[in-house]
Amino acid sequence: MSLLEKGTDAGAVWVDDRLGSSNFVRRSLNKVFPDHWSFMLGEVALYSFVILLLSGTYLSFFYTPSLSEVVYDGSYVPLKGVTMTQAYASTLDISFDVRGGLIMRQIHHWSALLFMASIVVHLMRVFFTGAFRKPREINWIIGVTLLVLGIAEGFAGYSLPDDLLSGTGLRIAYSIALSIPVIGTWAAFLVFGGEYPGVAILDRLYSAHILLLPGLILGLITFHMMMIWYQKHTQFAGPGRTEDNVVGSRFFPSYAAKAGGFFFLVFAVVAALGGLAQINPVWLYGPYDASQVSAGSQPDWYVGFLDGSTRLMPNWEIAGFGYTVPLNVMVPTVVLPGILFTLLALYPFIEARFTGDRDYHNLLDRPRDVPVRTAIGTMSIAFYVLLMIGGGNDVIASVFHLSINTISRVLQVSLFVVPPIVYFATKRVCLALQRSDDELVHHGIESGTIRRLPSGEFVEETVPLPAVYRISLTGVESDRPELEGATAHGAEGQSKGPGYGDEHVVENAPERVPGFFRGKRRSGPSDTSAPRPEGAMPELERSGKPAPPE
Amino acid sequence: MTTPASNTGGQQPSPPTGQTSAQAGGSIRDRLQSPRSSDQASGSGNTRESDLRENGFQQSNSVADLHAGGRGESQYDSSKTPQVTAEQELAGRKHPLGPEDAKSAERKVSALFLLSFLGVVGFVLTFFLVDNDYASSTRYLYTPLLGTFLALALAGVGAGAVLWAKLLMVDEEAVQERHPFGSPKDERSSTAQALKKGLEETGLPRRSLLRNTLLLGAGSLALLPVPFLFGLGRFQHKERVLATTAWREGVRLIRQNGTPVRLGDLQVGAIESVFPDVEHGTKIADSPTLLIRMRPEELQVVEGREDWSVDGHIAYSSICTHLGCPVKLYEQQTHHLFCPCHQSTFAANEGCKVVFGPAARPLPQLAISVDEEGYFYAQGDFDEAVGPSYWERDT
Repeated sequence: MSLLEKGTDAGAVWVDDRLGSSNFVRRSLNKVFPDHWSFMLGEVALYSFVILLLSGTYLSFFYTPSLSEVVYDGSYVPLKGVTMTQAYASTLDISFDVRGGLIMRQIHHWSALLFMASIVVHLMRVFFTGAFRKPREINWIIGVTLLVLGIAEGFAGYSLPDDLLSGTGLRIAYSIALSIPVIGTWAAFLVFGGEYPGVAILDRLYSAHILLLPGLILGLITFHMMMIWYQKHTQFAGPGRTEDNVVGSRFFPSYAAKAGGFFFLVFAVVAALGGLAQINPVWLYGPYDASQVSAGSQPDWYVGFLDGSTRLMPNWEIAGFGYTVPLNVMVPTVVLPGILFTLLALYPFIEARFTGDRDYHNLLDRPRDVPVRTAIGTMSIAFYVLLMIGGGNDVIASVFHLSINTISRVLQVSLFVVPPIVYFATKRVCLALQRSDDELVHHGIESGTIRRLPSGEFVEETVPLPAVYRISLTGVESDRPELEGATAHGAEGQSKGPGYGDEHVVENAPERVPGFFRGKRRSGPSDTSAPRPEGAMPELERSGKPAPPE
Repeated sequence: MTTPASNTGGQQPSPPTGQTSAQAGGSIRDRLQSPRSSDQASGSGNTRESDLRENGFQQSNSVADLHAGGRGESQYDSSKTPQVTAEQELAGRKHPLGPEDAKSAERKVSALFLLSFLGVVGFVLTFFLVDNDYASSTRYLYTPLLGTFLALALAGVGAGAVLWAKLLMVDEEAVQERHPFGSPKDERSSTAQALKKGLEETGLPRRSLLRNTLLLGAGSLALLPVPFLFGLGRFQHKERVLATTAWREGVRLIRQNGTPVRLGDLQVGAIESVFPDVEHGTKIADSPTLLIRMRPEELQVVEGREDWSVDGHIAYSSICTHLGCPVKLYEQQTHHLFCPCHQSTFAANEGCKVVFGPAARPLPQLAISVDEEGYFYAQGDFDEAVGPSYWERDT
């Protein structure tokens, strides 16, 4: 027995004597996690949050959240002697005088960008595969909450240096709060402690940024993970995978080694970015000054869609009876995100309402199998991307030498025209892909072998789809048709609910395109005219042709 | 959840060995176009599917069975799995690599771990030895070197662990049953009963006085934070604070460096940021103002503001009426003022009316005059609130 084994043994006994945790630990070690590349997106978010906590803790040792003014006397020569706030001066110190401070600052900023990006992509994965369906609606809502908290946390964070860019962002945030009817001035004065800029905002942002918001995020992430652990991860259809099991690698050692290694890989990427790619060079922007702003001022990317909606909104304002409602500010920055995030959080219930689907779902949908959901998703992405482009309209105008007025007008129109087009295009593509899959399942793979029949007719030989692919495509484990209806995924022909009736089924779509909003399960090859025994499947060559018999 | 897959292995057809083995990921056609033989797949560690087929999807369960032996409720599906001894099992778990390849894989993984160590050494040496002073010539190298070594150190361990798991750990598909989430009916009803019984025991449904006073007492507790919220801000005269700036009658227009602006300082077509000549005047956030000089004939004076400008000199609030960014970009030819934040555009020669963008109102104009020494001064505060709109703003 090696020393390592002995130590493990002794340690396990020591802990179990006190906690009786043996059973729990063993079950945890043996827990099965399904494998798919897309399941790593949420991991990236988790790992970037860990990096944020580590790097942020280090930064908090040097940063001073104070608006009181000092004359800069650090080593960055161009700003020597300039009057600035302590917040900005301490950020400069982190960047120039603290050893390893700049790389830590840049790692912190890059991992914040990555955190938000991975949350968004992870959300798309969960959306398009239908992983939010019963019983996982709670985790979906937690996820959406984390997204919103992440945006707030990021905004609070990049406002702290009190450079010219972030101060401008704060002033915009203050003006947005002002725009809310009735309570706007109260809200703005409450947050800022008085008329902008007040004296309190940085202290408040600081405690929100390092205590309140990260605490909430940490708690919700913990809950998010516990739910995944308890409910077990979803999986894609495949051989041996059913609604009632999990197929994958066990937590220990294989999954733990891969996930742990992946954490370090994510950290390595962020470290390389932090060292090699400059981000938010606040010393170039200079200290905040209410009368200054740089051209091309832009928020971090995850706030960009709101900046875009603000730029594209027409200049409507209602005034009368001594009161003013600035629709031009309130609609794009308060109402729009309110509606978007509410719809997002409620989507699982909205979809269930329309499909009437109250079943448990542990097998993931392929996006093409649920065209309406997929189309809603791509439509929303199109809307979002247009807003993002709107947020950069000045940069686009100056890079491509276009008129900013034209860009804005085109985007204003596009916001209403492009999403519906994307919706219908996606739906058509999904239906076409479904048919192509059906082609594969029912008629097999084109072999490239053309045979001439005695009658003179030419036919192409097809090779039945190997079972592995067939199961992945159809989710049907067996080719015995009587088992099909028994899969939990819902028999075909069930009501699709109001609004998703026949009008969506295009004329030339054969009736074997049943899945529309809910995941469908195609029939196996048993109902093709010429079934083949499994064993007779020839191996395929690179070209897809059957290999010659050995 | 109609078919509890009590024996997934039984439903899995066992095709003959040596078949096309699948690689996870990629579209089906891609995968079909590059079929791998079982051997190739093993070589690259992608033995999932082939193992699965060859073992009929059952053998992989048995490891779990060994672990689960003696446990009350088996988490793994073991009902139909033939019992095997540990030796049989280990022999049956096909190691992905032969001994030669395993040795080489171990060397690769170890090399990556070693790389980590070197990365850490490089990081520490750079951290302490490279001069990062702003005046030194190596400061441009400091952060990039730190980043490179840190990335190497982290990537070594990370890639090593992943490769280790992929090449050297037994790659097997394990199957675990899911537990249904809904509790059995009797479980639910007895829980509901316990809840009801407990509620009954508190007497809340019957004792309405108790219930109502509790609601009142606990409800008012929830209101306790409200006074504290009001403590967060200074709300006295907030409407007046918002509606006024530091400009007063007779206050001179000064530049950011504190010097007053005199008639004739500005060329035609020039623009100057001006501030009220009061204490901290250049720091007050709502007072920055723009002084623009254009040819008097180009200026279309707004009715009622005939004496607000002096010889083509006209002053507007610099704070955008949209979201409060400082509007400063001035286009001489068109007399357009442009806000870089959200691209609101104002016509400075026509009372700063909005010609494009999301701003709804013109920039407020400051009435200016020139004293006998030739210095500009304000005739008073702006006649309306500057900056973004708010609920109580009286237009």
